[in-house]
Amino acid sequence: MSSTLDRSAVQSSLNVWQMAQRQLDDIASIIGLDASIHAYLREPKRALIVSVPVRMDSGAIKVFEGYRVQHNMARGPAKGGIRFHPDVTIDEVKALAMWMTWKCALVNIPFGGAKGGVICDAKNMSMQELENLTRRFTSEISIIIGPEKDIPAPDVYTTPQIMAWIMDTFSMQKGYSIPGVVTGKPIAIGGSLGRDKATARGCLYVVQEAMKELGLSDGARVAIQGFGNAGLNAAELMLEAGYKIVAVSDSRGGVANTDGLDVQKIVAHKAETGSVVGFSGGEQISNKDVLEYDCDVLIPAALEKVITAENAPRIKAKIIAEAANGPTMPEADEILQERGIMVLPDILANAGGVTVSYFEWVQDLQENFWEEQTVNDRLRIIMVRAFRETLERAKKYNVNMRRGAYAVAVGRVAEATSLRGVYP
Amino acid sequence: MSTVAGITPGGTASANLKTAHEASVFGEAIDYFNEAAANLDLDPNIKRILTHPSRQVIISIPFQRDNGDLDVYTGYRVQYSFARGPAKGGIRYHPGVTLDEVTALAFWMTWKCAVVDLPFGGGKGGVTCDPRVLSDHELERLTRRYAAEIIEIIGPDKDVPAPDIGTNAQTMAWVMDTVSMHMRSHTPGVVTGKPLCIGGSRGRVEATGRGLTIAIQAALEKMGKTLARQRVAVQGFGNVGSVSAKLLAQQGAIIVGVSDQFGGIYDKRGIDVEAAMAYVTAATNEKRTLEGFSGAERITNEELLELPCDILVPAAIEDQLTVENAGRVKAHIIAEGANGPTTPGADGLFSQAGVTIIPDILANAGGVTVSYFEWAQDRMGYYWRESLVNERLEEVLRENFDAVWSLAQQRSVTLRTAAYMLAIRRVVDSLLTRGIYA
Repeated sequence: MSSTLDRSAVQSSLNVWQMAQRQLDDIASIIGLDASIHAYLREPKRALIVSVPVRMDSGAIKVFEGYRVQHNMARGPAKGGIRFHPDVTIDEVKALAMWMTWKCALVNIPFGGAKGGVICDAKNMSMQELENLTRRFTSEISIIIGPEKDIPAPDVYTTPQIMAWIMDTFSMQKGYSIPGVVTGKPIAIGGSLGRDKATARGCLYVVQEAMKELGLSDGARVAIQGFGNAGLNAAELMLEAGYKIVAVSDSRGGVANTDGLDVQKIVAHKAETGSVVGFSGGEQISNKDVLEYDCDVLIPAALEKVITAENAPRIKAKIIAEAANGPTMPEADEILQERGIMVLPDILANAGGVTVSYFEWVQDLQENFWEEQTVNDRLRIIMVRAFRETLERAKKYNVNMRRGAYAVAVGRVAEATSLRGVYP
Repeated sequence: MSTVAGITPGGTASANLKTAHEASVFGEAIDYFNEAAANLDLDPNIKRILTHPSRQVIISIPFQRDNGDLDVYTGYRVQYSFARGPAKGGIRYHPGVTLDEVTALAFWMTWKCAVVDLPFGGGKGGVTCDPRVLSDHELERLTRRYAAEIIEIIGPDKDVPAPDIGTNAQTMAWVMDTVSMHMRSHTPGVVTGKPLCIGGSRGRVEATGRGLTIAIQAALEKMGKTLARQRVAVQGFGNVGSVSAKLLAQQGAIIVGVSDQFGGIYDKRGIDVEAAMAYVTAATNEKRTLEGFSGAERITNEELLELPCDILVPAAIEDQLTVENAGRVKAHIIAEGANGPTTPGADGLFSQAGVTIIPDILANAGGVTVSYFEWAQDRMGYYWRESLVNERLEEVLRENFDAVWSLAQQRSVTLRTAAYMLAIRRVVDSLLTRGIYA
């Protein structure tokens, strides 16, 4: 669920929120969405803006601005991360909340969509300042969050420790432990086993389904851009599953080997040097070259907007699984579709994170915690089903997998919204 | 560092303090605040808190139109400060409502409640809609859904809405009913300005006009004068304007001119205010206008502001007294019945010319004061006779008018600056005493 979606769109003429609305409009016309429901889904249910006074280490009080947006709650409590970043805007948070609605609906977990953020430079704040900020922000939004209302999670520059502070603040206000108010917590206070690798594992499961669908044999060659949580875990899990990892990269550059890379040694090299660059078991290539490397499966797991109209014609993979949010530009999407490359869209390919967040919440509500194998097995069931439904809808409307996924998601939210009717 | 909150319709943008200052109503409001704050030597930490709204909520309001269609409107509730008590402020239904405007109004409510020493913070709400094109049923559905969406943050101990432009006692009744039904408990104290039969207060309807009259009397007394034979011109003949004119006339003033949005009437011997009120509210008068009222000379709204008179009561809309017309105003007392009728530029000119301005946050605080009484009565379930309401209103306004007047004398500042200083000092005292939850 960690993501950096379309920050650059905020600065460009394309407003990220308008882009999200336009995406809904596009799907609405494909599935013939009722105009009233369309109007309803086009705006967030609620946006809360709070002032967050924080005592800094210097003794001064600084006042930060924070947001929590709940886009839709027709299918259940809202779900979505909280990001701490200097460029957070209300429009960005609204767009991300809407995307969370679609993502949760696509994998059919009983959540609506939300997102939160605080405008702050978390990288340059002390732990004490971050704790003060987190606790006051939690206190301010505590009126609208809770296990039955809205369940935050980590996002850009927010960590399991920050989730622990949110859980503690909320619990202290209510007078008893309420682990289900946030997910992405440390295991010790109600986190779920398998949560840390969930995004990569979900990605693996949908890639396996796509391979079957396209009649490709196991042991395919995989290139991965990005070697953070999603990329690194994907490399390890895919290797374990019998794939050959032929190229990996991080922001400084990449390494490649057509015979397959020794992933364990790269992980060790990165731990030692801070980068995959300089690893001796392969040729040095650039971070961008990874995208065009000869492979069967390409996993962009780094930044948004890396696959463009410029490089899309040179991509050799047959399957692209978007572990990152928004790696493919709309024009590139059309080119890839024409070339017959199957793109597993972000809301499908990286939904493993939110799915295991859902499992974490279920375990917290039950106060009954599962074995990691149970988590993984249940994740597989959900990811396979979501892939199948996406594919079926893409075929039905004769559109690509991205539109197929949105058609499933928007259709589900529309159905719930219209079944519940208009209150009061 | 953070920013001052969201500025455009729909609340889509955040601008930083400097940009907001130039582009927004809230930025303008910060101007007055800064002027008063400069006289108070405010701690920068405290100032940072006071220039940020505590909480702003933007909601979607889906509701069914009479033809079966679903419409989705945008609504707001801003709670600027809770330092002195639950937030307090009206709900406005108007096509021009923006988050920026609502934030500025919530900011003003903070100072208005503090200047008359009510145990309230400041809040304001609004829905961007045109209530004139909505049927009563549509308004009811819209209001109920709006109330349901903000239910987490309103309540007798949290935030107490009231009527404002485009809303009325019926609207408040719907809010009270929706909240009471949700809570499964009779909750009249969640809103004020309700009809009498469900927990409204006697004297609430006339409260703003009565408060204005009390403030004018208090100012005259400080100058060694009385209301007798004072010539008064009143711009605006709605609730505030007409009630003020009536009460001032009852105290012996001569109402030489009154006006509404279509224009005004002038009679230097004095207008029969009660006859004018009867004329405006007559069933045959569809536009509810003063136009055609016999026995007085017809004038324009602009001329009304410049009439030969002692006291001018702008009780219509904002920005009426500007640098352009300030020099031609003849009154030596201006009592601001409306919110923000004087632009900052005109304010400076009046101050130089020695004109006494009783500022809006003090002059029209009678309304919120009796709202406070209504809330207090709802909490105890015991309702006061009208004379007691009026007596207590006079006590509250006089005591705080005196405090503002003395501070203005002491510090050689205008009544407006003194009013803000007093209000800010009270909010700061509460903040510092409570400490910062940070």
